[in-house]
Amino acid sequence: MKQMVCSVCSYTYDESKGIPEAGIAPGTRWEDLPEGWRCPWCGASKDMFREKAEAPAPAPEPPQMPAQEPGGEWQLSALELSVICSNLARGCEKQYLPEQEKGFRELAEFFRARSVPAPDAGTQALLQLVERDLSSGYPYAHTAAGEAADRGALRALTWSEKVTRMLQNLLSRYEKEGEAMLEHTGVYVCSVCGFVYVGDAPPSICPVCKVPGWKFEQAGKGA
Amino acid sequence: MAELYAVRNLRLCTKDCLCLYVCPTGATDTEDSIIDRNKCVGCGACANACPSAAISMVPKVMPPQQPKEERVAEALRSLIRSKTQAENLAAQLPGALAAAAARSSRLMAEDLCRESGYMLPQSEEARVFLERLRTYPGIPLEVVEGLLNTLPFPEKRDRK
Ligand code: SF4
Ligand code: SF4
Ligand SMILES: [Zn+2]
Ligand SMILES: [Zn+2]
Repeated sequence: MKQMVCSVCSYTYDESKGIPEAGIAPGTRWEDLPEGWRCPWCGASKDMFREKAEAPAPAPEPPQMPAQEPGGEWQLSALELSVICSNLARGCEKQYLPEQEKGFRELAEFFRARSVPAPDAGTQALLQLVERDLSSGYPYAHTAAGEAADRGALRALTWSEKVTRMLQNLLSRYEKEGEAMLEHTGVYVCSVCGFVYVGDAPPSICPVCKVPGWKFEQAGKGA
Repeated sequence: MAELYAVRNLRLCTKDCLCLYVCPTGATDTEDSIIDRNKCVGCGACANACPSAAISMVPKVMPPQQPKEERVAEALRSLIRSKTQAENLAAQLPGALAAAAARSSRLMAEDLCRESGYMLPQSEEARVFLERLRTYPGIPLEVVEGLLNTLPFPEKRDRK
């Protein structure tokens, strides 16, 4: 009997236990769960699960940092400058510095308005970016942060890697199923870690960062 | 000893109003419910009395940020760039999932940014960043100057 672990939220499906409260009898093999079965915590599909291994296989090669185009004279693009400003605005918000929060928000909007639209926007292009992060960006950054024993960076990387994995899952489903996937259901975003959940109501706690459900925002329908 | 001042979390405050009675300076009694920083003398009486744990005592001058190793910061910056590219793409696509992907990418980028050296708005790193922004074409200068003048940068004192 094996155990299968969700790569997004770490929920574990144990074949020997099943999920009796969901009508899945003890002893139900992983292969026998229906294709459309989803993780009860985070909504990830079956292909996001990995068999629980005794010891994780070591990475064969040290990961490389993905090549990025240079950011021009400022080294940073307008959107990157916008992110620094909106992040500092959040820092002010948490400290109840409303005036300074407003200032940083204004700068974040200024830079957002200056960003140049991407020429080839499409779900495919978005998926490619997400997959590059998962195959090289995160492994490289995890190694660097681990070697520096930077637990703060490791925390942010662990969260956002899970969120990115969920995005990959949802975007590839969307490629196949199209808008039908979102009919009669909502899309919710955790306002703390960015986890995206498709369902009738947000989960009671975020499967990635564990904040309560009221921290979720509904993403604009058709907006 | 670090000087403190009181801040109130409006979401937790249940308006029991004990803090109004115990404050020696009236700093907790304001029309917008934000504790008046200029009146607060940092005695902590309100935070001790609040039945809802809605008041925190915060140092006026924050400690310096944790140092970041350049290799870690560089790896984080590379991911941040990727997330901004994702936000940019998603913002151009229709539908709720694309809107969620754009928002999610922004939130992840912000969190990674925080860990790459921009945790605190009142840090030396943020001050240097703001000073650099002064020369950005078209930047609303009054906003940048306003932030530089009102944020309590700890290093400010040492520089004088
Ligand atoms: S004592 Fe606490 S709950 Fe009561 S009004 Fe003051 S901050 Fe709000
Ligand atoms: S810390 Fe003291 S002075 Fe400041 S608001 Fe609270 S009770 Fe008033
Ligand atoms: Zn899961
Ligand atoms: Zn979350």
